[in-house]
Amino acid sequence: MEAEAAKMIGAGIAMIGAMGAGLGVGLAALGGVQGIARNPDAAGTIQTSMILGIVFTEAIAIYCLVVAMLILFI
Amino acid sequence: MEALGINLGFLLVQVFNFLLLLILLRKFVFTPIVNMLEKRRETISKGLEDASIAAEARENAEKEAEKLLSEARSKAATEARELTARAEAQAKEIIKDAEAKAGKAREAALAEVDQERVRVLGEVRGQVGALAVAAAQKLIGEALDAKKQQTLIDEFFSGVKAGKVTVLEGADAAGSAAVVTSALPLSAAEQSSVQEQVLKTLGGKGEVTFKVDPNILGGLVVRVGDKVLDGSVSGQLGALRQSIR
Amino acid sequence: MAKQEATRKWKYGVNRWIALAIIIAGVIAAGMYPPLRPYISLPAEHLTDTLFYFPLTGEKFFLTNTMVAVLIADVFLIALALFVIRPALKSGKQVFKGIVGVVEALVEVIYNLTAGTAGKWTKTIVPIFATITFLVLTVNWMELIPGVDSIGVINEISLEHAHHVNPDLHVETDCDIDPLFTIGNTNVVSIGGQPDCAAAIAPFVRAAATDLNFTLGLAFVSFMAIQIIGVRAQGLRYFEKFINIRALGKPGMGKIDFIVGIFEIVSEFSKIISFSFRLFGNIFAGMILLLVIGTLIPVAAQTGVLMLEFAVGLIQALVFGMLTMIFMAQATQSHHGDEEHH
Repeated sequence: MEAEAAKMIGAGIAMIGAMGAGLGVGLAALGGVQGIARNPDAAGTIQTSMILGIVFTEAIAIYCLVVAMLILFI
Repeated sequence: MEALGINLGFLLVQVFNFLLLLILLRKFVFTPIVNMLEKRRETISKGLEDASIAAEARENAEKEAEKLLSEARSKAATEARELTARAEAQAKEIIKDAEAKAGKAREAALAEVDQERVRVLGEVRGQVGALAVAAAQKLIGEALDAKKQQTLIDEFFSGVKAGKVTVLEGADAAGSAAVVTSALPLSAAEQSSVQEQVLKTLGGKGEVTFKVDPNILGGLVVRVGDKVLDGSVSGQLGALRQSIR
Repeated sequence: MAKQEATRKWKYGVNRWIALAIIIAGVIAAGMYPPLRPYISLPAEHLTDTLFYFPLTGEKFFLTNTMVAVLIADVFLIALALFVIRPALKSGKQVFKGIVGVVEALVEVIYNLTAGTAGKWTKTIVPIFATITFLVLTVNWMELIPGVDSIGVINEISLEHAHHVNPDLHVETDCDIDPLFTIGNTNVVSIGGQPDCAAAIAPFVRAAATDLNFTLGLAFVSFMAIQIIGVRAQGLRYFEKFINIRALGKPGMGKIDFIVGIFEIVSEFSKIISFSFRLFGNIFAGMILLLVIGTLIPVAAQTGVLMLEFAVGLIQALVFGMLTMIFMAQATQSHHGDEEHH
């Protein structure tokens, strides 16, 4: 197998990890929206913590992306 | 590291660049804006406080006005109630007056009717006596002594025998008022004699009222207080019926 | 009423026709001047030869295209501060319009967020939070400007690298790319030309957050700010969070507390990595997405990605600052935090 092809396959496999992050971001948004629906007055606080949680979750996907890019470009 | 493009020199350049920017922006932008924000917040909170004080004052004024209004309202209501009560009392009085007048008029009319009746019955009394004598003559078939008969009949109607009231004999009744009922009106002489005797029985003092009731047929009924002395023909007939049975 | 409706209809119609005209122009342009497949390089490209050597490290200094972006952002922000915001603030007004109003609103959001978390340290933290946010925001939104990431010179190093990675790829010397214009002997080119050619060009300006030096530098500053404010708030007791000698003396759970302190050190340093790679990953992915979508579907499709990148740029700028602020606020509180980072 050519090295180039192996790199591309490896990058693709590395991005599988983004699946979990996507699930996690969805769950965080779900929780946030439910909270806001139950208590619309607390929307500001809930939004802030929700965005923080989403960012932390998203970081996992970013790590995957970085690994994939490192494989591809280096 | 080289492949990632990380380079200590560039890193330090970026760090110093950021620190320079931080100092400049902090001095010229962020500190003034934060101060302004705090000042504005203070102003706003002060304004809100003022507004709340004003609102409180207005509320007080409104309360006062409400109080005055309610007082005035209750006063008006009391006055209206008083007026109504007075008017009602007046109306009642008027009605009472009217009723009393009507009652008096009716009583007067009744008394008149009574007198008329007594008068008519008095007129009839002579004829009834004559009729009775005539009937007895027819029945017995001989002429009766008209004068004696007349006396008899008078005695029958008035219950006064030989100048004495038969009912009152042996009776003792105490009271201050007596009602004497006869079948037909008594003549003035009879009345005075009956009155005298009744008064004697009562003990000298009292009031005697005369009434006419054709139902008792003859004789007298004297009622003193709750005591009734029955010398009437109907009462005697009743007693007779009682004893026969 | 009827008139108003007519006006609105007319306006809508005009917008529709403008959009259609732009799409048609895009189709014509893409047909005449087809976009190249971009050659993406992870390190920032050098625009000049070695300018000087760093005094202590002895490393070469080049002017890289991300450095240009940072300088532009610096000039923009300082000019904004000195020539627009400062006079407006000095005028003593309470309500601002235009860009000053926008800046003031953003600072107010930052101030409120900080005041809700940090308490009495608010005034210390706000400038750091705000500077990070404004710098990252400017640098991120620069990516959206046409020409950034796409207009530049042919990069010899990248060219060699590209040829080395994929020998089959045609490079610029083989397929003649029409230069936009020429400065001296340098041909200024843009991504575009013949579809089979790779454009190993060094753009003049490249989004700064796609350079790890920038994000690592920011993360390092943020890390240092957290430690400094921790020491300022608690003195040397701040380090008890990491090396908990007192806990060793306690029976039972004391030793576990000590080990937890060791883990705290690891997590503290991993903050640098997570801060820098979060920003880098988001913006670098955005850049690649813009380039790839732009070359695959040259017409109209990039607009959606641009809108996405607009939001991502704002969110990442705010998040970088907000996380710094939250960790700084945590460092000022003496109980050692249960969750230090993700």
